[in-house]
Amino acid sequence: MMGEQKQEWDRLLYIVPFLAIVPYLYLTGASSTDYWWLIIAAPLVFFATIAIAGQIWNGDETWVNQLKEGGILGLGALSVSLSASVWLIYDYLDHHGHVESGDPFSWLTFDVLTYNGDGWSIATTGFSGIGFGIYLDAVSIMLLFVATFLCFLICWFAIGYMTTDSINDNSNHRFFAEFVLFSMGMFGMVLADNFLWLFIFWEIMGLCSYLLIGFYYWKESAAYAAKKAFLTTRVGDVFLMIGLLMLYDIYGSLDFAVVFDDPSTGVGGAMVDAAMLQTALLMLFIGAVGKSAQFPLHVWLPDAMEGPTPVSALIHAATMVNAGLYLVARMVPFVDVSHHGVAGMEDLGLIVAWIGGITAFMAAAIAFVQNDIKKVLAYSTMSQLAYIFTGLGAALWFFNTGNHHAGALVFGGALFHLFNHAMAKGMLFMASGSVIHEVHHAHDHISEEGDDTDHDFDPQDMRNMGGLASKLPVTATAMMFGSMSIIGIPLIGGFWSKEIIVGKTWYAYFHGADALLGPALLILATAGMTGFYMSRMWFMTFAGEPKNELVDHVHETTPWIKTPLVLLSIITALGGFGLALYGMVDWLAGEADHLSIHKSTFLDQVIYELEHAFLPEDMQLRYVGWATIALSFILGPIMAARVYGGALREGESAIPFVHWLTSLSGKFGSQNVDELADSQLAEALQNRLYIDDFYEGVLARTIVPFADFAAWFDKNVVDGVIKQIESNSVLGSVQIRRITTGSARDYILMAAVGALTIFALIWGVGA
Amino acid sequence: MIEVSWIAGLGVILFGIGLVGAFSRKNAIVVLMCIEVMLNAANLNFVAGALHHGSVDGWVFTAVAIAIAAAEVAIGLAILLSLYSTQETISLDEATLLRN
Repeated sequence: MMGEQKQEWDRLLYIVPFLAIVPYLYLTGASSTDYWWLIIAAPLVFFATIAIAGQIWNGDETWVNQLKEGGILGLGALSVSLSASVWLIYDYLDHHGHVESGDPFSWLTFDVLTYNGDGWSIATTGFSGIGFGIYLDAVSIMLLFVATFLCFLICWFAIGYMTTDSINDNSNHRFFAEFVLFSMGMFGMVLADNFLWLFIFWEIMGLCSYLLIGFYYWKESAAYAAKKAFLTTRVGDVFLMIGLLMLYDIYGSLDFAVVFDDPSTGVGGAMVDAAMLQTALLMLFIGAVGKSAQFPLHVWLPDAMEGPTPVSALIHAATMVNAGLYLVARMVPFVDVSHHGVAGMEDLGLIVAWIGGITAFMAAAIAFVQNDIKKVLAYSTMSQLAYIFTGLGAALWFFNTGNHHAGALVFGGALFHLFNHAMAKGMLFMASGSVIHEVHHAHDHISEEGDDTDHDFDPQDMRNMGGLASKLPVTATAMMFGSMSIIGIPLIGGFWSKEIIVGKTWYAYFHGADALLGPALLILATAGMTGFYMSRMWFMTFAGEPKNELVDHVHETTPWIKTPLVLLSIITALGGFGLALYGMVDWLAGEADHLSIHKSTFLDQVIYELEHAFLPEDMQLRYVGWATIALSFILGPIMAARVYGGALREGESAIPFVHWLTSLSGKFGSQNVDELADSQLAEALQNRLYIDDFYEGVLARTIVPFADFAAWFDKNVVDGVIKQIESNSVLGSVQIRRITTGSARDYILMAAVGALTIFALIWGVGA
Repeated sequence: MIEVSWIAGLGVILFGIGLVGAFSRKNAIVVLMCIEVMLNAANLNFVAGALHHGSVDGWVFTAVAIAIAAAEVAIGLAILLSLYSTQETISLDEATLLRN
């Protein structure tokens, strides 16, 4: 076993040359801003390399064993991206945000024919400025780190997960190629310095998302889910494109630098009309709603779990769905009235917050009844992203009503939650992948011994698990920290950011935003519900007595899976507090230009932060904060423990704290919820509140008949015309064929007659 | 002195004989000969033209055309030989592989 593990690690030697590139450039004294293109170029090149090499050497022993069907190459490419972006981030922080990015890389120029009265001439229009440059601020720096770091770890994890499942044999190169292309899309979108490039990379991600969800394309459900995801996000993307065209119409450019310079002045110095701009921004927001799976375009995300188990799911939890949030975060300069923003767009913030509040509550409610471990996490993702949207909505409202300080605080808090959520959810999905992987292996193991092969066995169903804490120590610990961060257990990860979002949304309500009462109530309730469903997931999986005999055969196998879990556990457990101490919120909001401790000593800073979190001076905020903690930390988890908790079996032991937690979960008594589970509400939740059914019903009555008509039209009219031309040509050619007698003398005669005819015509015309 | 029109007239007559022969005879060798006759009729026209204009262009064309005609005859005869070796005939009525 150990020898085998060592051999696995030897594969990592192949990525050393990749890792050496950036240190080499650094030592030669190059500037990080001249080499930012490495972040995008490396994955792009290796997307093509893996795809082509995989076709050539498919099944080759070296390719499969040494390079893991391209996984090692993908990991190498992503390590280049990661190291280049860390270099860029280091320089950015070192220079306190004043980095000169190199000249934009000009690629697309549009020459347009124009008529100037006398004739046509080629004019290079204002559109020629679609060079690709980078736009760096705290937001893009933070997202760049999240994307490169998580993509690298996910690729690492995928090598362990994908290559040990025989169903993937000889198609992994497809997976890794698409994965790397996806990563490139995310990096490009974060770096892009204008809306058009942002949109291009946005669509690349949409494509890769479709390809990865449909990775098992021979499974009908996977193909259906892929189509559903693609078409649902397409609805949002159409609006996004309309929004971008409107912005171009208003500002005459899509460059961040041009647009954000003075959003109140449009093209040619005209005043920008608030109603018009608000419509454009709402269109962009609909695009974000589609990408980030918010109500009413949320239906694709749970189905996206059809992709290769944790990895595609992780894309749909930790990185890609953040694109929508990023787009909304980029709206701040438009509404910030204290910095040339356009006044009179309060409604935008309210709409964003309402969509967030509704989604947060709805997704958390549906998560109550899910038994598939990945579906719980999928709904949790929707719910947490909705928190961030609510926070951003409140921020937009504050900015637009002139309260810059409060807006910046909740804006920073929302983005901080994005960071915490991405780290925690990335780890949770990898941990759930680890659980599924090991349960699946254990099931295969049992099936080989006995002959009771059960093809309907679902390794993702939590009703088959229970008591896994002693079998999967690393996974159980990782999942515990991840769940704590999502719930917002005090001092851990997401607590620091969720407090700000909930508190500041209430603050907005108390200070004039009456319409925010709804979202504020909804996200406060959701805090408790999050505590319940995340605890439920953990207890059902890891605590209590095993519900299936195969649990005895579960153990952690491949070394590739554990490393990212351990790394992310540490970040999740300590990162939130640590970054909060260093002023992450102010930095993200652009209020501070570097991450540092404000108080004189570290201890003072700790005390200040704790005081700030638990005993804020504003009494209203204090009660809201306490209510959040009471709901999410105490009420939710204890309710879950009563229903699903339980100590491990006699004689089983897990690592200390986890063991204590499982024992604790059995001490709250037990509650039977069968009656509730049979209620109509539970059934409605099981059916996702019938929203999917409603969409399908509407589509079946509108789009499908139209599509049938279009198909008929295409088959009978468009194709019909062409087929008629074709059959007539056949008939004609049969007739014409007769004159080719094959006799040379006839041809000579024809040539002579033809020549005479031509002469006759020339004479005739000449005369 | 021979008139230019006489030479041109001879060319026309020769061309007519060649043309009628080319599509009325079925022996491939005769047809080839007829084609040569037509070619030389064309050459005569060049000569007539050269005399009429008093330039040497026509003479040069004729010299080149005769050289090319020699090569063309060689190719034509080679085709006939190969036709005979595959079809065992040189009758044009029977060599109709390109029909329809």
